[in-house]
Amino acid sequence: MTVATKAPRGRPLLFTSYPSEMSLFPTTTRKVAFGLLLAVTAILPFMLADAELQLLATCCIAAIGAIGLGLVTGYAGQVSLGHAFFLGIGAYTASVISGDPDGRTVGLGVTNILVWLPAAGLVAGLFGVIVAPLATRLRGLYLAIVTLGLVFIGQHIFNEWSSVTGGVGVGRPAPTLEIFGYSLFTTTASVTRDQKLFWLMAALLLVFALAARNLARSRVGRAFTAIRDRDIAAGVIGVNLARYKTIAFAVSSFYAGCAGALLFTVTGYIEPTSFSLLLSVQYIAMVLIGGAGTISGAIAGAFFITLLPRIIRELQAFLPFISTDANEVPNVLQVESILYGVLIIVFLIFEPRGLFGLWVRARNYWKSWPFSY
Amino acid sequence: MTLAPARTDTVTTIASRIRDRAAATPHGVAMREKHHGIWRQYSWSDYWDQALTVAHGLLALGVEPGDRVAVHADNRPEWLFTDVATVAVRAMTVGLYPTNPASEVGYLLSHSGAKVLVAEDQEQVDKALEVIGTCPDLERVIYLEPRGIRHRYDHPALLAWDDLLALGREHRAAHADAVADLMAAATPDDIATLIYTSGTTGPPKGAMLSVANVDFAVRTISRGRGFAGSPPGPGDLSVSYLPLCHVAERIFTIWFNAGAGIQVNFAESIATVQANLREVQPTILFGVPRIWEKMLATVQIKLANASPVKRLNARLWLRVADRIGATLVRTGGVHTTGTRLAYAVGWLFFYRALRERVGIGRVRFAASGAAPIAPDVLRFFMGIGVPMYEVYGMTESSAIATGNRPRRVRLGTVGEPEDDVELRLDPTTGEIELRHAGVFVGYFNDPAATARAKSGDGWLRTGDVGEWDGPDHLRITDRAKDIMITSGGKNIAPSEIENALKASPYVKEAILVGDRRPFLAALIGIEWDTVGEWAQRRGIGYTTYRDLSDKDEVRALVQSVVDDVNRRHAPVEQVREFRMLPKELDHEDGELTATQKVRRSAVADLFGDLVDDIYTARVSA
Repeated sequence: MTVATKAPRGRPLLFTSYPSEMSLFPTTTRKVAFGLLLAVTAILPFMLADAELQLLATCCIAAIGAIGLGLVTGYAGQVSLGHAFFLGIGAYTASVISGDPDGRTVGLGVTNILVWLPAAGLVAGLFGVIVAPLATRLRGLYLAIVTLGLVFIGQHIFNEWSSVTGGVGVGRPAPTLEIFGYSLFTTTASVTRDQKLFWLMAALLLVFALAARNLARSRVGRAFTAIRDRDIAAGVIGVNLARYKTIAFAVSSFYAGCAGALLFTVTGYIEPTSFSLLLSVQYIAMVLIGGAGTISGAIAGAFFITLLPRIIRELQAFLPFISTDANEVPNVLQVESILYGVLIIVFLIFEPRGLFGLWVRARNYWKSWPFSY
Repeated sequence: MTLAPARTDTVTTIASRIRDRAAATPHGVAMREKHHGIWRQYSWSDYWDQALTVAHGLLALGVEPGDRVAVHADNRPEWLFTDVATVAVRAMTVGLYPTNPASEVGYLLSHSGAKVLVAEDQEQVDKALEVIGTCPDLERVIYLEPRGIRHRYDHPALLAWDDLLALGREHRAAHADAVADLMAAATPDDIATLIYTSGTTGPPKGAMLSVANVDFAVRTISRGRGFAGSPPGPGDLSVSYLPLCHVAERIFTIWFNAGAGIQVNFAESIATVQANLREVQPTILFGVPRIWEKMLATVQIKLANASPVKRLNARLWLRVADRIGATLVRTGGVHTTGTRLAYAVGWLFFYRALRERVGIGRVRFAASGAAPIAPDVLRFFMGIGVPMYEVYGMTESSAIATGNRPRRVRLGTVGEPEDDVELRLDPTTGEIELRHAGVFVGYFNDPAATARAKSGDGWLRTGDVGEWDGPDHLRITDRAKDIMITSGGKNIAPSEIENALKASPYVKEAILVGDRRPFLAALIGIEWDTVGEWAQRRGIGYTTYRDLSDKDEVRALVQSVVDDVNRRHAPVEQVREFRMLPKELDHEDGELTATQKVRRSAVADLFGDLVDDIYTARVSA
């Protein structure tokens, strides 16, 4: 009956098929913008110092973790405070697999990133599936509190199981960044370690972000949104709640596992107390400040939160009453933690859609030009 | 798919045009229909294939040349399939307005003697079944939407559209050449369609348009004299939203499509036209004055509600647009260097965004017709860069008479006669008379009315009074029967004053009274949306239409509109007094025709007390 001819040119609102309506880049402008972003990312390592590249690489990894939390909390609406636990599972799985067999801690000696990264994700994902039944029985605040319990259980295990984690205050080496014997973590004549690190993490972020975007615009993603908006209504229209909540937790934990595995490769060392409630809260902050329910928001939030200490340090130059000395009041560290809390409060009250919401607001202002609605 | 074998047709019909397009460009897009949020596309071969199957289906139902096939549906592909199929089997299409109440449906079906009715849904089927007893010729009622009908209704006349298609396929397999034979036998004198005029006075009359009439109209519009740049073609898009039973929409949807191959896009409904326009961004757009007035009102209200910076920007560029519009009016639509420059800058800041948001960003030919329009409205659209032309035509002339042309626009006139159109003014009454190949054959079963409208040597009396403005341009004064004579003896053309009032975003209806009365007065109906917004912004609470109309503040608002119009008119033409209409005029209540024109007689009857009140109050005061 219908012809598969393409829609007429220059009419971005006229869709002749559902795939075109849901496409990743619905307009040429988006395609161009995305291409530009990629180009900038590719040349950035030649323009920035190594220390900054290292920071940006950390941002990319945090973004992968934030996207994972965004999927379960932002898209599927299941508030999880247990993200630190899944990050820890990933980190230790990866370091056990790639660890030195003859070292102080357990290690299998498989240093290829193509092995330990997926494995970290899968193991964490498996734990996600185990935890998921909680989510099918609980909602909202209760779920948050139960996932909080996860963090404490995890913390206890990580602290005590010293043959794997190295123990409190000691830790163990992070997984080795190697692909088929080629080290991604050493400086060669042409490229420095941090340049490689940045490219690798940016590429991984791209892969994970695109995968998440595709998941979000698929049947699964629509089921997530339906559950978030009203799980009873979603159940009534035929969304299998148990199944999709399980998928949400599994995918989210997979992302967390991968992010956890990568997170410590930059510093080289894993300390078991890192996986505390604070880490979970940081990721929640990334999702909320960035903008819940969007991938780009999660990325923006991750960059913002990870760069916050650096931003405050830069700010200090202009605000001399803030001290860099930890013994004086107010000092940089204090301002950092205060700002942290203030930002969450301010965003939740004034712009619940987060950084992404600010962008949407700016975009809508021009989109609705010359009207206001 | 088997296309009909090529044979030498004696005459070109819309059916043969569609068939030839399907053969030449089978995969080109003929039309789009929005379905569950997606614009479904139909190619020319789909179009012809469906029409051919329907044509065979009609034959299977026993439709013979000269029979009438009625369609009672909103604009949708099936309307076109049925129309083309009907013409292919040499029968006549009769369109019914979706808003026609059952009594009018009964009148139209029995008067036309329709044999088959294609009804859209349960609502229209109910109307038909209510009156089927008074329509002895009606044999079959075909419904398009089975919801609420299938498994519930068991009237023997009912037939589902899908079943008609099945019948058609069967017939097509058995008698492959039946339709092609009929098409080859068509003559120019076959009646292609009966178009019932809405009838502001008396019952509707069915104008018979022959194959030759339609062909003249199709050829005239395809030539595209009204288009700046290239004539209309397959790259053009239109939005179909006005009732297809009206000759104007028939031209812009079916005839333009068949003649020039433009892509027709069906709006979901009249209520979603604004959104659909934004999506489709048509290049050809026809509207009755009411549509353009409403669009202007929407723009003004939305701009008034914009944030301060945007409001400032809008005010600046609207003022510039006003100047550009005024210059264009003076030059007949030819840009000067100054206007071009001003427009280019404004395009960047305002006009492009505004036009795109309203859905007229790509319009290269916009036309207003079917009723007179206030020049202010046209000037606004010209000012923001929409090539806007007022055109004139009527059912009885296959909608072809005059039109403004690029670079020769004269505001307030309906333009110049089209090619091959003879036009003259009656020397005594000033009535416009037309003669061309599109002038109708006559009124169906009404020789007396035909004789009144058409002289023996082919001149059509239009019933409109006009005058020449310059050597080529025609200005319409008013409908002959609407001209008012005040008791002071002055002739007054009400439509010009009414349109000036309606150009205000707050006024929806304005009906002038004053025939044989000491002075002019008006009945004014407010525009519910805009006045409602206006009241909200001022914190005036209201409940119903009537309540809002009766507010003193609203009266004062309307008074200011009236005063403004009065300032531009001579004292005898000024509206001294007005009353607010207590309800919105409606087709179903008989106050409007199906084309939303005011039935003066009905309004005079219904609101006679208001009119009397005006004059007694003044006299006693």
